[in-house]
Order: sequence, then structure tokens, then C-alpha cells
Amino acid sequence: MPNFLHSLASPARFQRIANAVLPWVSVLAAVLLGVGIVWGLVFSPPDYQQGDTVRVMYIHVPAAWMATFCYAVMALLSASFLIWKHQLADLAARAASPIGACFTAIALITGALWGKPTWGTWWVWDARLTSVLVLFFLYLGHMALSAAFDDRERGGRAAAILACVGAINLPIIKYSVEWWNTLHQGASVFRMDGPTIDNSMLWPLLLTVLGFNMLFVVLLLVRIKSELLARRIEVLQRARASGRG
Amino acid sequence: MNAFLAIIGRDLRLATRRGGEAALTLGFFVVAITLFPFGVGPEPELLGRIAAGIIWVTALLAATVSFDRLFRADMEDGTLELLALAPLPLELAVLAKAIAHWLLTGLAVTLLAPVMGLMLNLPEAAYGPLVAGLLLGTPALSLLGGIGAALVLGARRGGALVGLLVLPLFLPVLIFGISAVEATLIGLPLAPHLLILGALLAVALPVGVFGSAAALRLALE
Amino acid sequence: MTRKQRRMTILGVGLACLAVATALVLTALSDKVTFFYSPSDLAADDAGHNARIRLGGMVEEGSVVKEGDGITTAFVITDFAQAVPVRYTGVLPDLFREGQGIIATGRMDQGTFIAEEVLAKHDETYMPPEVADALKAAGKWQMGDQP
Repeated sequence: MPNFLHSLASPARFQRIANAVLPWVSVLAAVLLGVGIVWGLVFSPPDYQQGDTVRVMYIHVPAAWMATFCYAVMALLSASFLIWKHQLADLAARAASPIGACFTAIALITGALWGKPTWGTWWVWDARLTSVLVLFFLYLGHMALSAAFDDRERGGRAAAILACVGAINLPIIKYSVEWWNTLHQGASVFRMDGPTIDNSMLWPLLLTVLGFNMLFVVLLLVRIKSELLARRIEVLQRARASGRG
Repeated sequence: MNAFLAIIGRDLRLATRRGGEAALTLGFFVVAITLFPFGVGPEPELLGRIAAGIIWVTALLAATVSFDRLFRADMEDGTLELLALAPLPLELAVLAKAIAHWLLTGLAVTLLAPVMGLMLNLPEAAYGPLVAGLLLGTPALSLLGGIGAALVLGARRGGALVGLLVLPLFLPVLIFGISAVEATLIGLPLAPHLLILGALLAVALPVGVFGSAAALRLALE
Repeated sequence: MTRKQRRMTILGVGLACLAVATALVLTALSDKVTFFYSPSDLAADDAGHNARIRLGGMVEEGSVVKEGDGITTAFVITDFAQAVPVRYTGVLPDLFREGQGIIATGRMDQGTFIAEEVLAKHDETYMPPEVADALKAAGKWQMGDQP
């Protein structure tokens, strides 16, 4: 695996692979999201208790999953950057954190919209809501720290240390918040005795989940590519400036 | 061991002799607490109900304010580089500095908390769990906060950044510190909450020490 | 101490700390810890304490009564062993209904629980109404099997 990563770590090769993969993944993301969202919002049945309100789920649940998934990706990239010093891992971790923050914000906002009709309030200080909010703060801290240094390399290393510390703390935060207050329903899809969600709702949900995953890949690749180009421009400008001077 | 104690002693002496830096944190703690009766109204009943929360939250904020200075002065006068080169592992030096920081802020805040409790009409049964919780929780704050303080060395706008970085990490300590008080007030057992605070301290010890040391090495490059 | 020895020592100390943490958490969890009182808990120690507490349980079937002012609701929370009458003034959440699990925050007043806040615990089952009806018709409907 490290060898494979090493070979990926060359920016030129990464660009080649990214350019080859990007169109396919983009189309896949568009199709999955399009079908999943239309299916979920229009054709899937309403819930027996919540009625049409349940349709928020097709956006909310994938966004919430991506929020955590994205942090895990970011923490792994940060750890591999600290251990193997891959520039590309640093780039990717920093590209991932605003995307993760956006998914987290979407999960929080749709959660509030869902909470109002079902729980009777926009926001409750319930275990899952609170831990997602804290996750959002961790993303903000990561973004702020990586941007706070004049030396980009140092910002990246500091942010990577923070991401790793956050990854250790995240389960602890989640656990303590759960202890503190529990109102949110238990897990519906990943359970020992099979999903407690009807198939007519599970399928569109799985489609949007996959769609969000593909969207994440697309956004990540685009952000890494543009960051690589920005650095290239910087190098060229510096070269021209010193050539003239 | 001598070097370890010497670092603690040095930090304590510096804090007491250099214009009473230690008093600054305590001053902030007291002033911030006295703002709450103005903010929520002076009714003793209301204040009594939220007193433990006020004291805990203000203790977190006071700790956060103090982190900015934890490594900055040492960085500026070059002490940090000597610490990194010394035979004592940097991890232990960080631990010594965290202990000194706790003695100056956490312990002092813990000792002041009952007095603040009197001013806020804290229920009588709550004093024990409040002080016990602070005693176990504030060392964890000093350790975790060290990571934030070390990470922002050399960053622009370091002070405000420390708060954003470390306050989310403090959340578990706050939750169990408060739940210890609340549990006692409604007659539930206190011990599990204190045990968990102890567990958080045990986790904060390696995370804080290794995290801060790694961040300091980065700052010194 | 060589570099390798030092690294092993550091690693050992770190792992020891984590072991201590695990042991402490396990000890803490072996005590019975509750987040809210059940009606049975309340009945067991009715020392008449006037503290704010959280009461959790199911809304008893057929117990919900709207009072004259249109905004106050009286109902009974039960854990199928003991039951506590509750009064709440305010807008109830959508999912509040008979047989549903709720958590109410408030205090006891002369045998009635005066709630300041009522939160519905929404179950983790999602299905279309037809399926729910079919389940009920087939006698497989278990409304009370929430954690």
C-alpha cells in the first residue's frame, strides 16, 4: 500500500490519474444523485408516522455520514503525511476539510428542518446533534489553523497534528455527549438484525449515499488539482520574478 | 528528575515575579463570573441552579485565555530550543510545564471555586462534587490546552485561534464535571462521574504530552 | 538510554495510561447510572423532593386529555409497572402520541409531574403507512418494543 501511495504521490502522475478518472466519477455522481433524490423526494412513499417529513432523510442521512467519513479520510491523510511526509497527502487533507465542513453544515441545517416538525423544535441539545456540531467546530479549527501560517508547509503540519488529536478525541466527545443526553433514535440501517427501514425507502437512500460519496471524490480531486495548479503558478511567477531581478 | 523539577520551579517563579501573571488568570475568572448575575438577573434561586455551570464554563474560558502565554515567552527568548536540546526528553519537559500551568491556573481556580459558589448561591450539597470535579478535570485542561498553545506558535492571530482549537476538546471534561454536580443534587451516585473524569485525565496525559511535544518540534524547525 | 529504548518506554507509558482509562471507565459503568427517572424510580423514593428531574416512559394509551385552554395537555407516563400523571402547557411535538416514548423535564407537584419541556423519542423504524397497516392487520405490530 505505501508503495502504491508513493507512486501516487508524484503530482504529475496524480494529475494524469485524476484527469482520467474525473469525467467518469462526475457522471456517476450526477446520475446517482439525480435518480436518488428524485426517487426519494417524489416517488418514495411517505412514512407511517412522519408523513412527507421523512423525505428530509434522503439528504440529511448521507450528509451526516459523509461528515464523519470525511473526517476519517482527513485524519488518515494527515497521519500518513506526518509519517511518510507526502506532500500530496497534506494537499488532500487540506482539500478535504472544507468539503467535510460543508457536508456537516448540510447535515446540521437539514437536521434542524427535520427536527421542527418531528420533535417540535429546531434544535435540541441532543447527543447526535451536539456531536455533529462539535465535529463542525473541529473542521473550522483545522481550516483556520492550516491557513494561519505564512509558511504553508508549517500550516499543513500543524493542521495534520490537530487532525490526528481530533481523531483520538472524536469518539470520546461522541461518547460523552451521548451520556449527557440521549434523544435521537438508534441506528436504522446498520443493525445486527437487519435494517429497520422499509426497502421502498432504503433503495433511494442508498443511491443518495453513494451519490454523496462520488460527489466527495469529485470535489476532492478538483480541489487537489486546482491547488496543484495554484502552486505551479506560484513557482512560475517566482521564477519569472527572479529571472527579471 | 532534577531537571523536571527545575522546570516546574522556574515556571512558578517566573509567573509570580513577572508582574503576577498567575493573578491575571484568576482575575479573569473572578471578573467573568461576576458578569453572570448582571446578565441573567440577581435572583438567588436562578443563580443557584446555574452556579455550577457558570463556574465550570468560566474555568474553561480562564484556562483558554492563559494558554496563549504557555509557550510563547519561552519561544521568544530561546528557552524552548534549549529544552529541546536538553537530555530530558521534550515530552517530560512539556509535562513539567503543564504541571506548572495547572498549579498556577487549575489549582488556583479550584480553590477559588467555593468562594464563587457562595456568591452565586450554589446549593450546599454541590460544593463537594464541584471541587472534586475541578480537581480531576483542570489537569486534563492544562494537558490538552498545551497542544493548542504549541500548535499556534508562529501563527498569525494565535490568541483567538487557541480557543477555537481547544474548547471542543474540553467538552467531555465539562460534561462530566457538570454531571457530577447534577447527579449529587438529584440524589444519584457521584462516583461514576468522578471515575470518568479520572479516565479523561488518563487519556489527556499521553495525548497532551505527545501532541504538544510534536507541535513544539514543528515550531522549532 | 538508546533511541529505541526511549521510544519503547514512551509507547509503554502511553499504553499504560490508556489501560488505566479503560479500567476507570469500566468501573464507572459497572455502577448503575441513569439519565432519567422512570415512574417506578419516582414511586420508590417519593421523598417529595422538589428538584428538577427528567422523567422518561411511555404515554399511556387513552390517557391524553386536552384541557379547556387548548394548550395544556394532561397525560400519564408509564413504565408498565408504575404510572405518573403529567401536565404540560405548550406545543407538543408531532411525534407525541399515545404509546410513544417521551422524556419530560420538570418537577413533581402534589403527585402530578409539571413538565416544562416534553421531547418525543422517535423510534428508528421507517416504513410507509400501508406497511404499518399490514403489520397491524397481521398482528405483528409491536408498538412498545423500543430500547
